[in-house]
Amino acid sequence: MLPKNIKLEQTELNVGIVALTDCAPLVMAKHLGYFDQWGLDVNLHIQHSWATVRDRLHAGLLDAAQMLAPMPLASTLGLNGSKCEVITAFNLSMNGNGITISTALLNKIAALNNGVIPELPLNSNWLAKFIAEEKKQGKKLKFAAVYPFSCHYYQLRDWLFEADIDADNDVDIIIIPPTNMTDALENNDIDGFCVGTPWNAKAVRAGTGATVITSCDIWDEAPEKVLAVTSKWQQQNPNTFLALLAATRQACEWLKSSANRFETAIVLQDYLNESIEVIAPSLIGSCLTSQKTPARDIPAYNRFISNDANMPKKLQGMTILKKMQQAGQLDSSYTNEDLNKVLNKVYRQDIYTQMTQLGDIA
Amino acid sequence: MAKNSQTAPLLTVLIIDDDMERAEAFRAALKDTPYSVKHLAHTSVSLLKEVEKTEPDIILIDIESPNRDTIESLSTISAFNPKPVVMFSEHEEPDLMRDSIKAGVSAYVSGDTTPERAKFILDVAVARFNEFQGLKAELSDAKQKLESRKWVDQAKALLIEKQGMTEQQAYAAIRKMAMDNGQKMEDVAKNLISMMQLMGGGQS
Repeated sequence: MLPKNIKLEQTELNVGIVALTDCAPLVMAKHLGYFDQWGLDVNLHIQHSWATVRDRLHAGLLDAAQMLAPMPLASTLGLNGSKCEVITAFNLSMNGNGITISTALLNKIAALNNGVIPELPLNSNWLAKFIAEEKKQGKKLKFAAVYPFSCHYYQLRDWLFEADIDADNDVDIIIIPPTNMTDALENNDIDGFCVGTPWNAKAVRAGTGATVITSCDIWDEAPEKVLAVTSKWQQQNPNTFLALLAATRQACEWLKSSANRFETAIVLQDYLNESIEVIAPSLIGSCLTSQKTPARDIPAYNRFISNDANMPKKLQGMTILKKMQQAGQLDSSYTNEDLNKVLNKVYRQDIYTQMTQLGDIA
Repeated sequence: MAKNSQTAPLLTVLIIDDDMERAEAFRAALKDTPYSVKHLAHTSVSLLKEVEKTEPDIILIDIESPNRDTIESLSTISAFNPKPVVMFSEHEEPDLMRDSIKAGVSAYVSGDTTPERAKFILDVAVARFNEFQGLKAELSDAKQKLESRKWVDQAKALLIEKQGMTEQQAYAAIRKMAMDNGQKMEDVAKNLISMMQLMGGGQS
């Protein structure tokens, strides 16, 4: 029985996900029957690009979607695809990204340090030293991120910026899908990348790269993926949205336990088409670094819940909007007042709070 | 007609699609047209290199391809010039098509498109793309004009206030200075403003 007998406007839902470790809350909510318990028949549709997630959500072909945290803001501002008011009321995951550099680049950096690999997380000053050397020969390092409107892209830029490396001029940054990162590194098409789990672990297992820093080291507790719907859909389906959020939150709660994390890794194998060796480490708080260096213990590497982690906070949104401005994606003439107006539309804490007050399923 | 294809400039179409049959059918349909086809399958890694090398005039990509984000980024963060993008889609999804076309996708080829229509679709894509680029240029042009008018208005106001000119006299003065010096009115206005602000600052 649903609490307070909330009446669902719609029971069959199409939800878009992307094959990454942090689709776990939605995948597990389905596997554990939480959606069913809330009266929802949810079909999960794997999407192969963020552009397709965006277009299908805007067009109403998907009722809800796992999105990169900056995407609802970019859609609402009309920066990404057709202008469309997209909202979020739930952080699906925190952290989870890492920067991997090619084994060759790591060795060259070690050479600058008497042959010793510098301490991890890697200070980007080491990279700056190397870039300065390369510049003399007219060479530029090339990095990759998965999407322009992503925390990966902004985190990569921030890491470079810490050592005064100009992300727009001193290096090249290109966009390639996460599934292609390891191959791109191996073929020397790129020197490094910033992606989410499990794709860093994949490059380390393959021996092609070294994960030298994680997003936990760059931005502490950053929202990574959010559960997004269009504002129009939410207005038509307020109760259905609450039920969807409540079921997803239950899955996040379940994902707290390490024992459950391992079971999750097993389930995700089918979705990600990757082996347990690649998927499991980050889920149990281990960041593989390289084949020569020990794994780092990072308990928050894949965070799905903790206190109010799932609540979308305006401060988080403001940080993202500022990063968009720094990256030249959003006009710098937008004042804080303008940005707050956008955040009020997109960050629906009120809906999150309503969901937490629903109570449990009888 | 074959005769036409010899005179018209060749346009290179880069097809990114793992469905060999579909890509081949499209290539066949474009024989004896001004479109020359290059097909890429399962080679996502060096896609950008390939784009750089091929310099395609049109990109045709499977809507389900993970490379869509890479192709889309050509117009957002990379140095490549934007290109018309046409999407292969297994199913007719009218709402999706409408939305992506708003997002800059130039045309769609769905599963039941007959090969005879291939050339027509590409023609439409090129035309629509040019129109889209034209609109974008017009928009930034309009913004630019607005910006320049703001400076001129400000300079005019200062001339009226400090020099006791009428609005018409102020405008004529700015225009004359621009013509005499071969400068844009916007630049003359900016100079005037900074000069008068400097003078104003000295007096007080």
